Amino acid sequence: MPIFDQGYQHWSGQLAGHAWRWLAITRHGLRAALAGRWIRLLLFCAALPAILLAFALAMWGLLELKSDLITSIMPMLGFLDPEILAGPRAFRVVIWTICYSYFLRTETSFAMVLILFAGPNLISQDLRYNALPLYFSRPLRRIDYFVGKLGVIVALLGSVIVLPSIAAYLLGMMFSLDITILRDTYRILLSSVAYGLVISLSAGLLILALSSLSRNSRYVAMLWIGMWFVTSSVAGVLEAVNQEQRFHQARRAAAAGDALADEQAAAERDWRPLVSYTTNLRRIGQQMLGTDAAWDKIAKLQPNVRRPRNLRFVRGPQCPWYWSAGVLAALMGLSACILNFRIKSLDRLR
Amino acid sequence: MLFQLDNVTKTYGQVTALDALSVAAPNGAIGLLGPNGSGKTTMIRALLGLISLDRGSGSVLGMDITRQSLDVRRAVGFAPEDECLFPHVVGVGFVAYAGELVGMRPYDALQRAHEVLDYVGLGEARYRKVESYSSGMKQRLKLASAIVHDPKLLILDEPTNGMDPAGRQEVLELARDLTHNKGMSLLFSSHLLPDVEFVCDHMVVLGSGRLLAEGNIQELKQVHQQSFEVRLKADMGAFAQRLEAAGCSTTPRDDVLVVRISAEQSPRMLWEAAAAEGEQIRYLRPQRSTLEEVFLAAVNDGAEHA
Repeated sequence: MPIFDQGYQHWSGQLAGHAWRWLAITRHGLRAALAGRWIRLLLFCAALPAILLAFALAMWGLLELKSDLITSIMPMLGFLDPEILAGPRAFRVVIWTICYSYFLRTETSFAMVLILFAGPNLISQDLRYNALPLYFSRPLRRIDYFVGKLGVIVALLGSVIVLPSIAAYLLGMMFSLDITILRDTYRILLSSVAYGLVISLSAGLLILALSSLSRNSRYVAMLWIGMWFVTSSVAGVLEAVNQEQRFHQARRAAAAGDALADEQAAAERDWRPLVSYTTNLRRIGQQMLGTDAAWDKIAKLQPNVRRPRNLRFVRGPQCPWYWSAGVLAALMGLSACILNFRIKSLDRLR
Repeated sequence: MLFQLDNVTKTYGQVTALDALSVAAPNGAIGLLGPNGSGKTTMIRALLGLISLDRGSGSVLGMDITRQSLDVRRAVGFAPEDECLFPHVVGVGFVAYAGELVGMRPYDALQRAHEVLDYVGLGEARYRKVESYSSGMKQRLKLASAIVHDPKLLILDEPTNGMDPAGRQEVLELARDLTHNKGMSLLFSSHLLPDVEFVCDHMVVLGSGRLLAEGNIQELKQVHQQSFEVRLKADMGAFAQRLEAAGCSTTPRDDVLVVRISAEQSPRMLWEAAAAEGEQIRYLRPQRSTLEEVFLAAVNDGAEHA
């Protein structure tokens, strides 16, 4: 029997417009990504810091209310300054900011791992299987293709950064039973969401550019690891060497002024953290959340306690935030150029 | 009018892919013929609005190919020549994804994907990863993904390349069925003349980016009034000698003898020659050009004018 005897039916449904065509690519990419068990496991693990954040904010709400529920865990809060415990409402913004700062720092690491698993395949597989003619011969522009692929990263990172931030915020608000919390902390929520978008766009564009450089996704994964680990390691080594030199100089000139102030000033002029991709992201996060101001307020409670030598690990990088923003913007520009160069339209001879 | 190109020129550096090409094709099955490098693929890309034209204009299904290229691609189904796949999906997912990219809703696309996979004969393989498909199956998969949204015009670029005879025949039958029984117009690009002849009614011949010939295939395969194909019951040798002696030219071809008579002579002389030799004519008809002859004549003519 000839195969066409099974018949062909005409289809008379409606086709959607062009504006949301990229969504099909995002949907397909997400389906493919979520089919991987490692990515599902990572998403599950990435929810744990969010649960901790929500727990911390809820506890803080109970502390502000002087709830009986909190008395049993009061001994565990001994690390907090008595002034804070006496008037927690005055430190609400500080504590929320620091909680969010730790949450975002942890989730940034999860985001990097998530991209390592979900990102390399995005374009390299299409190059390997020559799928681009299939895309571009349909009613899609190159920008739709890029936005669709970027949407996969934005959706995944949004699910580990933005959505948990919002959920934890709502939970913290509910436990505070105080409407003024909205006035005090809405900037933190907006900053978290904006920071999530900054990470998504920056890292998304970067992994797309890397993914377009090779048909083999393993090489792309290695490039990403290099971008993440190697730049961090190099920056760490450079900073450690620099700090050691400054430490010895300070010892030789022992009588010279305020060593802590000198160290802070040196950290603010130090370009070495800029070598690390994740440190640049972190610096932007700090600026958006206002983490430095929060730490300063905590530090004022204990003026006689010498702050640790390594400011980076407690407060994060201290270089000007616009340096980091410049580095990230340059990387995004470079990524866009690479994508434009590597992903050609079909307007070519072969 | 199915499509129309007016004075279209497209160059890639020093290479002129389309050279002031003007062509218009009616609805139906159009064969796009031409030797390698003749501009077939560039013409298809121009029709789909995938390339920027140096000069000229055109329309497909009444839509301008430069200003409405996205609408053109939405109304057209295209199966490219290259082996290309959306990776790591099963067959039905592949076709459904192709439908979604055109603008179908996911549910509609999935339902339709099942239907067209049944139609192209891949129903049994719909849940297999597409990487495991054979060449023939991949071609049929590309065909399914091109027709998933029921386009008005289907463009197949070298659809039978690298296929075994059985697979080739299946694709040709599908293409023929779509265009002759299902009302879908077709632009069938190939350099395999029998394929075009099997599927198409109309043909366009390109060479060096220019139009060499176009028209209805049956009309192009013209009847020669002074040339006949003759088959006899027995030996044709003596019969041929007698005709040549009478001033005709004869050429044996396969199991027939092609006899060309002069304008003053009548076909009656063939019967008279056979009677004189005591032969029976079993087959006699005016000679008709083969598509191959039409194609070669067009290509040679184009080469002479270049």
